[in-house]
Amino acid sequence: MSTVQLRNIWKIFGPNPKYVYDTMDRAASRGEILSQTGHVVAVRDVSLEVARGEIFVVMGLSGSGKSTLVRCLSRLIEPTFGQVLINDVDVTAMNADDLRQLRRHTVSMVFQRFGLFPHRRVVDNVGYGLEVRGMELAERRLKAYEILQLVGLDGWEDRYPHELSGGMQQRVGLARALAVDPEIMLCDEPFSALDPLIRRDMQDELLNLQHELHKTILFITHDFHEAIKLGDRIAIMKDGAIVQVGTAQQIVAHPVDEYVREFTQDVPRTKVLTAETIMLSQEGKNALSGEAVLYNTTIEALIPRISATDALFPVVNAADEIIGVLDRHTVLMALAES
Amino acid sequence: MAQTTLSQRNRLPARLHSLLSWGLFAGGIVILLMLSQKLIALDIFPENWNIGLRDVLNEFKRWVVVNRNSHWMFTFFFEPLSAVIDFTLRRIENFLLWLPWPVVIFAVFIFAERIRGLRLAFLMVACLLPMGMFGLWEESLQTLALMVTAVIFSLVLGIPLGIWSARNDMVEKILRPILDAMQTMPAFVYLIPVLLFFGVARVPSIIATVIYALPPAIRLTSLGLRSVSDEMIEAADAFGSTEKQVLRKVQLPLALPTIMVGVNQTIMMALSIVVIAALIGAGGLGEVVLKALRRLRVGSALEAGLAIVFMAVLLDRLSAALAQIERHSIQQFRGYRLFSEKQRGIKVIAWLERGISRVYAFGVTLSVQVEKYLAKTFGPGAGWLYNRADWIVISLFLLLATILLLLLGVQDFPAALHFDISRPVDAMVQWMQVNLYNIGDSGIGTGPLRDFLIIYVFKPLRTFLTDQVPWTVVAFVFVYAAFAASGWRLMLSVLALVLSIGLIGMWPFTMDTLGQTLVAGVICVGLGIPLGIWSSKSDRADQMIRPVLDFLQTIPIFVYLVPVIMLFGTGSVAGLIASVLYAAVPVIRLTNAGIRSVDVALKESAQAFGSTWLQTLLKIEIPLALPAIMLGINQTIMMVLAMVIIAGLVGATGLGLEVYQGFANDNLGRSVEAGLAIVLCAIVIDRITQQFARKASQAANIN
Ligand SMILES: Nc1ncnc2c1ncn2[C@@H]1O[C@H](COP(=O)(O)OP(=O)(O)O)[C@@H](O)[C@H]1O
Ligand SMILES: [Mg+2]
Repeated sequence: MSTVQLRNIWKIFGPNPKYVYDTMDRAASRGEILSQTGHVVAVRDVSLEVARGEIFVVMGLSGSGKSTLVRCLSRLIEPTFGQVLINDVDVTAMNADDLRQLRRHTVSMVFQRFGLFPHRRVVDNVGYGLEVRGMELAERRLKAYEILQLVGLDGWEDRYPHELSGGMQQRVGLARALAVDPEIMLCDEPFSALDPLIRRDMQDELLNLQHELHKTILFITHDFHEAIKLGDRIAIMKDGAIVQVGTAQQIVAHPVDEYVREFTQDVPRTKVLTAETIMLSQEGKNALSGEAVLYNTTIEALIPRISATDALFPVVNAADEIIGVLDRHTVLMALAES
Repeated sequence: MAQTTLSQRNRLPARLHSLLSWGLFAGGIVILLMLSQKLIALDIFPENWNIGLRDVLNEFKRWVVVNRNSHWMFTFFFEPLSAVIDFTLRRIENFLLWLPWPVVIFAVFIFAERIRGLRLAFLMVACLLPMGMFGLWEESLQTLALMVTAVIFSLVLGIPLGIWSARNDMVEKILRPILDAMQTMPAFVYLIPVLLFFGVARVPSIIATVIYALPPAIRLTSLGLRSVSDEMIEAADAFGSTEKQVLRKVQLPLALPTIMVGVNQTIMMALSIVVIAALIGAGGLGEVVLKALRRLRVGSALEAGLAIVFMAVLLDRLSAALAQIERHSIQQFRGYRLFSEKQRGIKVIAWLERGISRVYAFGVTLSVQVEKYLAKTFGPGAGWLYNRADWIVISLFLLLATILLLLLGVQDFPAALHFDISRPVDAMVQWMQVNLYNIGDSGIGTGPLRDFLIIYVFKPLRTFLTDQVPWTVVAFVFVYAAFAASGWRLMLSVLALVLSIGLIGMWPFTMDTLGQTLVAGVICVGLGIPLGIWSSKSDRADQMIRPVLDFLQTIPIFVYLVPVIMLFGTGSVAGLIASVLYAAVPVIRLTNAGIRSVDVALKESAQAFGSTWLQTLLKIEIPLALPAIMLGINQTIMMVLAMVIIAGLVGATGLGLEVYQGFANDNLGRSVEAGLAIVLCAIVIDRITQQFARKASQAANIN
C-alpha cells in the first residue's frame, strides 16, 4: 500500500508549457526540445510510488530535475501534466484551500539551504507550521520545545537562526518539519550544505528519528553514498526522467546503463551487495555443503566464511527457506563485475 | 540591421549634418530677430494672450471661503480629514510638552542605547540639550510633533500603497511615474492646491509634508517586499500559509529594514520642508527661522537653524539605526565601551567606564530577574513577553520618573540652563558687515563682490533676456535644444510648455529666474567639475570633500541662508550663493564617481600609448564619465530651480519673489502662476538635459 503515487508527471518551464507538451516530439532529448522550443523539460514522465514508512531517495546530478519533482508533489511547483495521489486523494485536483490543509497537516518540507526565517527565534521557526494552522501561542511553544529536545537542541530555543551553526540550523529545519507531525516529509538535499562530518551525524540522526517516528520520507540527494545509507529504495534521475528504481543492492549489482554505473563505481560493493543479490538459482546443485547464509548478509561479512572453502552455501530467507546458493566463485565474480 | 544602416548614414555626412544643423539654428535665430523687429508680438510676449489663470484661481478661492462650511466636499471629506490630522497632532504635541524634559531626553537616550549603543545615545543627548539651551525646547517639540504626525500619516498611506504596488505590477507601473514627478517637483507645488482646500494653518502644512515625504515610503516598502527571497516565500508556502500570513509573518518582517530606510528618508524629506511649511503656518522651529530672517536677526535664525540641524541629525541617526537593527537573543553588554583602549588609561575615564559598567550590570540583572519572574509566572507560552523584559523594565522606570518629576513640578526646560548664542552671533555679524563688506575701503569684500555681481552679471543678463532678446528667440533655443536632444515629440511638448509659461503671464519673471539659474548653474558646473576631478584623482581630496558634501546635503536648506545673509545681505546674490552651496553637490559627486568608475584597463592602455595625464583625462576619462557628469548637471540644475522659491524669500527677484509676495499679499493666483512657471521651467530643463545625458551615455557605449 503506497501513500504517495506519482503518475506520469511532467514539468516544462517556459512561456507556454502546455502547448509545448502537446506538440513536442516525445522522443526528443531535453537539449533538442530546448533548442527547438526554448522550453526546459525539468521533469519528464515520472511515475513512482512511495510506501508508507519508507525512506525513498531520489538521486541524480544537479540539474536533473530532483528539486522540481519534489516540489510537484505538494504543488509548490505546478506539474504541467500528470497526477499526484496522496493516500489515494488526487492532489493535482485539489483547490487552494484543500492544498493548504494538505501542506499544514500531511506534507512538510526540509530545504537545502535550511529556509529558516531569520527574524524569528528558533522556537518560533519550529512553531511556524503550527502557528499558520492557528494553534495558540503557549501550546505551539510547548510543542516546539518538545520537538527541539527530540533533535537535541534544548537550550537553544530563544536564539536566532544566525546564532547557530549550519548543522544546528538544519536541525531546526528538521524540527520545523517534524513539529506539524506530518505523515510525509519532503527533504530536498537537506544535508548537502553541511560539512562531511556533520553530514554523517545528521544522516545518523535522521535514521534514528525515522526508527522512532516512521514517517514516509521522500529524500533528495546528489550523493550516492547518502542514497544507499538512507534509502530503503532509490530512484535515479537523469535529464528529468527516472532511469532506474530499486534497492541499493539491486542498483549496485545491476546498473541499467553507463550513467548509473558511474555512480556505483566508487561504492564499496562488499558493503552493499548481499547474498540475495549475488546468489545463483539452486537448480541442479544438490551438493550443499556449507552452513546456511541469511539473505541479507553483506559480502563483507561473507568473505571470512567462504574464503577458505569450496563449499556450496545455501541462502535462506527470513523463514529459513532456501532461496538460492552461492560459493566462493559466485562472490568473486560479483566483485569482479564492477 | 537597422542599427548598422543608421550609424552608417550618420557617420558619412556627419560633418555636413552638424554644419546643417548649426546653420538651421543660426538661421532660425536671425529670422526670428528680423521678424520681431516688424512684429511686436514676436518680441514681447503679448499681454492679451494671458489666459487669466490668476483671476480664476482667486475666484475659486473666494468660492472655497464662502462654501467651506456648506459644500459636501468640505463637510464630508476635507473637514473630517483635517479633524483627524489635527487631533493626532494635538495629542502628540500635548503629550510631548506634558512630559518632563529630563524624561524626554532619557527616553531618547535609552532607546538609542538599546537599538545601537552608548555612543549614539550620547549623541542624541548632545542633539537634544542645545534645543533646550537655546530656549527653543517648546518649538523643537512642536516641530518634532509635526514630524511625527507627518511621518505617521506618510506611513499609514505609504506602506499599504507600497504593499499594493509590490504585489501588483500594474499598480507599480502606474505609481512609478507619479512618484518620480512628486520627487522632482519643487515641494512648493503641493502647497498651492493644499492651501486652496485647507487654508493656512498647521493641518495643510502637514498634508503638504505628507505628500512631499510619501514617495520614499511607498518605493522602499515595495522594494523591500519585492526583494524578499523566493526561498523564504517558498518555505512559508510549504507550511500552508495563506497569502495574508506570508505577508504578515514573513514578507513584512523581512522587508522591515528596507522599510525603515524608507522611513528614514521620509523623515528627512519631511524635515527638509519644515521651514517652507512654516510659511503656511506650521509653527515650530521653522517659524522662528522665518521670523528671524524677516527681521534679519541672524543670531536667532542661527539658533533655530542649528536646532533644526540637531533635529535632523537626531532623527536621521535614530531611524538609520532602526533600519540596521540586529536581532540578538541575549542581552549583552553591547557597546558600553565609550572610549578607546588608550584613553582608558586616564583615571577619570576608567572611573567613568566602571560607573557605566555598574549601571549596565544593574540594568541587566534587573531585566534578567524580571525575565525569570515572568517566565515562572506565565510559563513558556509567554516567551514573547519575557524576551522583552528589558523594555518592560525601561518603560516602568520612565513611567515612575514621569510621575515623580511631575509631582516635583519639572516640565519645561529650565531657564537657568539657557545659553544664548544669538547675541554674540549678532555682534559678529555686525562686525563682519562692517569689516568684511569692504575691507579697508580697498574695493575688496563681500559688498563690492555683491555689487559687481548685480551690476555686471544679474542686471545685464536680466535686461538681455527680458528686454533685448525677443521671447520667440528664447523659446526657439529651448525648442531647438529639445529637437537636437531627442526629436519631434520632445520638441512639441517643450514648445507647449514654453508657451504655457507665457500664457499664464509669467514670461518676464521666468526670464529673470532663468538668468539667475544660468549663473548659478554655470558657477556650480564650473566649480563642481574641477572639484569632482580633483577628488577622483586624489583620495586625500576625496576624504576632505566628502564630509562637506554630506553636511551640505543633510542639513536643511534654510540654514545656508543664515550665514549667507550675514555676509551678503538680502537679494539675488544671497539667493545665488545659497543655491550654489546647495546645488553644486551632485555635479561634484557624480563627476567623481563617473571618473572613478572608468575601467582601469582603458586608462592603462591609454598610458601605454604614451598619453600624458591630461590627455588621458580629456580623451578617455571625461568622455567615458560624461553620462555621469551630465546626470550630475541635470540634478544640479533641478536643485537650483528647487531653490528659486527660497532664494525669493531672501529677496532674489523673479519667480521666487512672485510666489512669496503672492503669499504675503493674499494673492493666491499670483503665487500659483509663479509656482506653476517654476514647475514648467523645471520640466523643460529636466527633460532636455536628461535626453542629452542619455545621448552621452549612448555615445560612451558605442565607443
Ligand atoms: N523556475 C524555473 N524556470 C526555468 N527553468 C527552471 C526553473 N527551475 C528549474 N529549472 C530548470 O529545470 C532543470 C531542473 O532543475 P532542478 O529541479 O532544480 O534540478 P536539481 O534539483 O536536480 O538540481 C534545470 O535545468 C533548471 O535549469
Ligand atoms: Mg536541487
